[in-house]
Amino acid sequence: MTNAEKYRETFITLFGVTKNELQKLEYQGVDTWDSVGHMSLVARLEETFDIMMETDDIIEFSSFLKGIEILRKYGVRL
Amino acid sequence: MASGCKLLTGKTAVITGCNRGIGKAILELFASHGASIFACVRREDAGFSEFTSRLAETWAVKIVPICFDMAKPDEIKSAAKQIAAFKKPVDVLVNNAGIGYSALFQMTPANNLKEVFEVNFFGPFLFTQYLVKLMARRKSGNIINIASTAAIDGNAGKAAYGASKAALICFTSVISSELASSGIRANAIAPGMTDTDILVCLPEEVIPGNSQAGGTRKIMKPSEIAETALFLASDLSANISGQVIRVDGGLL
Repeated sequence: MTNAEKYRETFITLFGVTKNELQKLEYQGVDTWDSVGHMSLVARLEETFDIMMETDDIIEFSSFLKGIEILRKYGVRL
Repeated sequence: MASGCKLLTGKTAVITGCNRGIGKAILELFASHGASIFACVRREDAGFSEFTSRLAETWAVKIVPICFDMAKPDEIKSAAKQIAAFKKPVDVLVNNAGIGYSALFQMTPANNLKEVFEVNFFGPFLFTQYLVKLMARRKSGNIINIASTAAIDGNAGKAAYGASKAALICFTSVISSELASSGIRANAIAPGMTDTDILVCLPEEVIPGNSQAGGTRKIMKPSEIAETALFLASDLSANISGQVIRVDGGLL
């Protein structure tokens, strides 16, 4: 599985969304991506990509696309 | 001790401020109950290395010293990364490291106030932020914050220290609520006067055993605080969260 696939899969399994919804998916855009879901997302991504995110990046992680930008800062090739 | 009596077998604990006082007592007690431990200290010296090696050998547990300064955010992050790199689940975090400070509030310089809050509150806050993520992955974890009765009682001379520990108690209560859905619980212990280096900061007239001190006062031993930490770290307290337990020998 590529990193991009792992990234997409994380959102799909965690938030119960479809692949088609991902590009426009934003924080609090679906019921499952609430503050608790956000922390689960961070924990899952950190484990998947073996990184430890800064608090500022956790706060700025406001959408599926923004997340790609942030993960690239940590050397994750997406 | 029979293995059946061990309360922390199979658990991994992170304990800060392990080289003396309450932290050292918690380290010893947790090791004797079968926990693997990341023993955090500001600086590792030969005496501490020898102590942890002996402890690990005696109880057949793994003890890994982690060195960082609780007042330095970069070092805190680096320490959390070191711990994460072991890929071991973190079951228990004991935020014990702290500094004492005693002065009337009008005699407390801003720099001292900041220093007390950096070590006693900001550092543990940041360290917990990092380690909680390791716990959240497994939907399980346990945080124990070592506060103080000074946070509750409003003792004269304790404006900075007491306020920093009061912040830690509030923090405990908040994270207990916020992290419950992640299977993580959080409690605080509020020790009364305890026989540690922090006692040096206190005026002589308030130290129990001195002629001017009140009759019912008692100085706690670090091991007595550690026993409460053991209870909170173990599954015996599986349904307790968001609480502050005073361990003060009935100090009035």
